[in-house]
Amino acid sequence: MPFSLDNRAQVPKLNVSALLVGLDITSGFGKIVVLVIYRMSGTVRQFTRLIKYGFESMEKIELARGFTPKVTGLPDYTSVRLPFPPTLGCSAGDIPFIRPKLLVKEGEFVKTGAPLFTDKRDTSIQYVSPGTGKVKQILFGERRRLLEVIIAPEQIDDFIEFEPVTTNQLLDIPKPDLVDRLKTGGLWQGLRQFPALDTADPDHTPAMIIVSMNGNDLFSPHPAKVLENNFEAFDAGMTVLRRFSHRIVVTARQSSVKRIRKLNNTIAEQITHITDDQYPAWNPGAVLYRLKQTQADNASWCISLEHLIMIGNFLLKGKYPVEKMVSLTRSGDKRPHLISRQGVPLMTISGTVPKDSLVTTGQFNGRILDPYSHLGFFENTINIIDEGKGEEMFGFVRPGFKKPTVSSTFLSSLFKPSVTLDCTLHGEERACINCSYCERICPNDMMPSFIMKALHSDEVEEALSLGMLDCCQCGLCSYTCPSKIELAKTLADGMDAHYKDKQ
Amino acid sequence: MKNPIKKIFDDTEHLFTGDGKYKKYEPVWDATKTFFFLPSPKTKIMPFVRDSLDLKRYMSIVILSLIPVTLFGIFNTGYQAGLASGEEYSLLKCFLVGSWYVLPLIIVSYGVGFIWEFIFAIFRGHKISEGFLVTGLLFPLTLPPTMPLWQAALGISFGVVIGKEIFGGTGRNILNPALTGRAFVYFSYPVSMSGDIWIAGNNLVDGVTGATALAVTGFEGQAIGSALFEAGFSMWNLFIGFVPGSVGETSALCCLIGAAILIVTRIGNYRIIAGGIAGVIVTSILVYLIPGGKETWANAGPLYHLFAGGFLFGITFMATEPVSAPGTNLGRWIYGGAIGFLTVIIRVANPAFMEGVMLSILFMNVFAPLLDHMVLKYKSSKRIPNV
Repeated sequence: MPFSLDNRAQVPKLNVSALLVGLDITSGFGKIVVLVIYRMSGTVRQFTRLIKYGFESMEKIELARGFTPKVTGLPDYTSVRLPFPPTLGCSAGDIPFIRPKLLVKEGEFVKTGAPLFTDKRDTSIQYVSPGTGKVKQILFGERRRLLEVIIAPEQIDDFIEFEPVTTNQLLDIPKPDLVDRLKTGGLWQGLRQFPALDTADPDHTPAMIIVSMNGNDLFSPHPAKVLENNFEAFDAGMTVLRRFSHRIVVTARQSSVKRIRKLNNTIAEQITHITDDQYPAWNPGAVLYRLKQTQADNASWCISLEHLIMIGNFLLKGKYPVEKMVSLTRSGDKRPHLISRQGVPLMTISGTVPKDSLVTTGQFNGRILDPYSHLGFFENTINIIDEGKGEEMFGFVRPGFKKPTVSSTFLSSLFKPSVTLDCTLHGEERACINCSYCERICPNDMMPSFIMKALHSDEVEEALSLGMLDCCQCGLCSYTCPSKIELAKTLADGMDAHYKDKQ
Repeated sequence: MKNPIKKIFDDTEHLFTGDGKYKKYEPVWDATKTFFFLPSPKTKIMPFVRDSLDLKRYMSIVILSLIPVTLFGIFNTGYQAGLASGEEYSLLKCFLVGSWYVLPLIIVSYGVGFIWEFIFAIFRGHKISEGFLVTGLLFPLTLPPTMPLWQAALGISFGVVIGKEIFGGTGRNILNPALTGRAFVYFSYPVSMSGDIWIAGNNLVDGVTGATALAVTGFEGQAIGSALFEAGFSMWNLFIGFVPGSVGETSALCCLIGAAILIVTRIGNYRIIAGGIAGVIVTSILVYLIPGGKETWANAGPLYHLFAGGFLFGITFMATEPVSAPGTNLGRWIYGGAIGFLTVIIRVANPAFMEGVMLSILFMNVFAPLLDHMVLKYKSSKRIPNV
């Protein structure tokens, strides 16, 4: 008998003083141990940071949660120039909240930079033609919603010209003129305003503007690639931003910094925050959540590096910048970056796509591209996601050495191999079982399942108090849900409905 | 070559879908098909890539964690029957005798429960959820091996229908369905669920009481520890599980193995298990420090309270059921702790019920939404408002 309480019958039951002395000694020891562990953990943390980031002076944004599996498909650092595309399109499908109003008819001739459609909510904002030529077709979707204006382009562009300005002049142009020029140039919409990420309101002074060097996807074009030959444009763009806010936050993924520094040290010096390399640390919404201090920060602005450079180029040269850096990814492949044009058709970029695969503009938060659609203003990544193995026999009891997962229920979570993502659900939709997988992965400390339930019961106030508007649309809650519930979509719809309500 | 099983489903598909003859029975056909072939429809909404974990995998991990307790429960049923009849059974015979008593319980539980699941799925026209895979195995493990099968069938029916389906099925139940079923038989057929019924077998020799450890009390002046030891409930026996009791609950070791599987795979939430164990330890020490009652369970100390009875089984497999537990982390700590606290309090202070785990888990199930509500209010107050 290893343990018995028999002998305790003889000792007095409650020896308070002895107990207190004992407690005192143990707590004293405890304190020392805790202190030592705490000190050591601090040192270890600093040391791992040092290994991870080197002696960089920028602030770090670390993410405790996020997407951990290693995925293949990172594009090569080389680049290839694509042939001139047979058609060009200006897409309305990727523009949030827009109520498009057409400004052209089929068969009309348009110059590069000429307005094609505008937003009924604010007609001063214009969406412009990416090429010169006749309007070949205007595509409508369900309920006559404008999808695309397609142009049959001529090889040589005829631009709508503006007077070029120098970076110094940018400091003196009156702000309304600057806004006006960007709006007519079709570039103001590059600036987005939180929380709904609608087009920025020029009358509002944002607490900060977040410049994201990296795109929405894991494998968006490398910032150093986008920056190549565009240093002046970057400076001009930054000058413009400084006219609108006192605080400009420039973020870059930790893995991108080295190449940016090699390319141009002055630009690298302007990076204010290095983010973790784990998706979605560089998402502007996730960055804002880490940085915000007060309620005023909620209405900050953000802009992608691509649009910042476009603004710079447009102002410096007086012409709509048509060049676009695109990355094309497919699991297992390593393809070069592609230099092409705004509004390039998918066919030109990817060629024919394998049957049964899905083409998206972001594995986690893009949209599905039809084979004949054109790349939108906000998109620069194309993912070809294959269908995978399909219905596996006894899939739920397989050991799963190569299954992509953020859970610990497959052996792949032990060995962490490079995995291939496919475009299937891996299961069927079920009711929420309260497992908290969504909470565990949400970068912005939200509890998506509770917000989803609040939205389903029309408790918008409850959803708001749980932080619905902090959602950065990274899509990880839907990714991880074992019941395959469309959490990200529910949250996005809730945010949009709330935003439209407020307008 | 095409998979022959796949062919069967492909050939029968037209009968059960669309305008097929047996369209009504599509859920049954679908459940069978998806058991063999993991369904993988294409994503239509962002994100376009999804994790490999689904509810089938989720529930199979729970089943995996239940295998040690189930096997040991079968073995122990035979072993206890052997002891009671005064014979020394071999390992094989223990398993055979145990299977004779336990397997019918499991089969009845799964059979009757699935019939109810099918009926509800057919009438509601929805797919069959995987939740019952676990409930159907958990329920028989909470019963004594001598349980009449018709009572087990009634119990699982109550658990599935009243405990789960009338709320809307898996994911919407307020109480743990397996425990609801057990509570039903516990109060409806007390003769089958309490007293000297814990040992299977017909010819019990004299002196074998067949009561569980929790029924033991010492005579006046005798410490509970020695009383338990004399009755055959040494700490070692309780830990390994060579004692009479419900099928699955006797072995603390096997429950801990199951808990380890659940925690490592992060299917069961460690906060509930750790909170529960902490609750038992703290409460049993506090109760121990209260003077008097040396011969009762009030004086048993934390280890006996942990290893005797069904506490570890309940906290590992019943309390961690995510649907009826709180969905917030702080809520889970409180929930687990309260289950541990209530278990000890019911054992010590309530002479009518020897075992308190079932009641304390059901009780805390009811309070889980309230815990969530309070934690959410607190967490919301810590956020920078964004409206």
